[in-house]
Amino acid sequence: MMILVTGGSGSGKSAFAEDCVIACGEMPRIYIATMYPFDEESRKRVKRHRDMRFGKGFETVECYTGLSGVKVPEGCIVLLECMSNLVANEFFREDGTHENTEVEILKGIRNLKTQAENLIVVTNEIFSEAASYEGETEAYQKVLGKVNQRLGIMADSVVEVVYGIPVYHKKGGDFHEKSVEQL
Amino acid sequence: MEMVIGGAFQGKAAFAEKMYPGISWVKGNEISREELFSARGVVGFHEFIKKEMEQGSSVEALAEELIRKNPEVILVSDEVGYGVVPVDAFQRAYREVVGRTCTKLASFSRKVTRVVCGIGTVIKHD
Repeated sequence: MMILVTGGSGSGKSAFAEDCVIACGEMPRIYIATMYPFDEESRKRVKRHRDMRFGKGFETVECYTGLSGVKVPEGCIVLLECMSNLVANEFFREDGTHENTEVEILKGIRNLKTQAENLIVVTNEIFSEAASYEGETEAYQKVLGKVNQRLGIMADSVVEVVYGIPVYHKKGGDFHEKSVEQL
Repeated sequence: MEMVIGGAFQGKAAFAEKMYPGISWVKGNEISREELFSARGVVGFHEFIKKEMEQGSSVEALAEELIRKNPEVILVSDEVGYGVVPVDAFQRAYREVVGRTCTKLASFSRKVTRVVCGIGTVIKHD
């Protein structure tokens, strides 16, 4: 089973995703962390998430780039957070795949799907605002948007967390008439 | 407590005025904390948070305080976290605080309505 969790900043996506993991019951819990702690603010952010996960039995695997090479135990549940970081890493970092980001990420997700029993991916809505961007930022938005669309097709459920409230866009693997592929 | 949320310029205030007739509304950017704690209805609640942060007031426990002191208030607030993470540190902190504060308040609220294109969808109703 795969669940895609999306939403805005500070909307409670992580707490919801962690609740999903707990609800799946007893199985090895792997947390794939994607934020590279490069400054004080990101270190604080990482610490906040670590504190949230504390005591929930997660084993943390750090993956900044190269998701397709990650190995996880068979029959486990994976929580990958956050796709917006992973895409940024692949797109901008020296050791990333740059223009091949979308291909690499999707390969990575398929790789996880074949190994894990359950996969929960947290991504981010960064697409609705007045400001418009040019160059690299716009290119990054485009890649993340495309990745999100592909993940939406692959996932059994797609849920947007709005101030902690789950709003389902796709539920339980039903035919999803709104998905771009079927239009 | 009840909330009406959504993006900017979606008709949230007009919707709220219709949904909660007879309530007197105050504007988030014009009121003090005391006024917030005694208000019946607040529009632009996110602007209250912004104003407090700009003035250097702590907003860390704002949600808890509001729940304790004014549990029946109707809040209208923008959702501000749906864009690219801002380069500016204050803007970055502001949108995250709005998110975290409203998430706590939504958890406490008996009803949350999200307005898109003037149309309200109830996303939570206990």
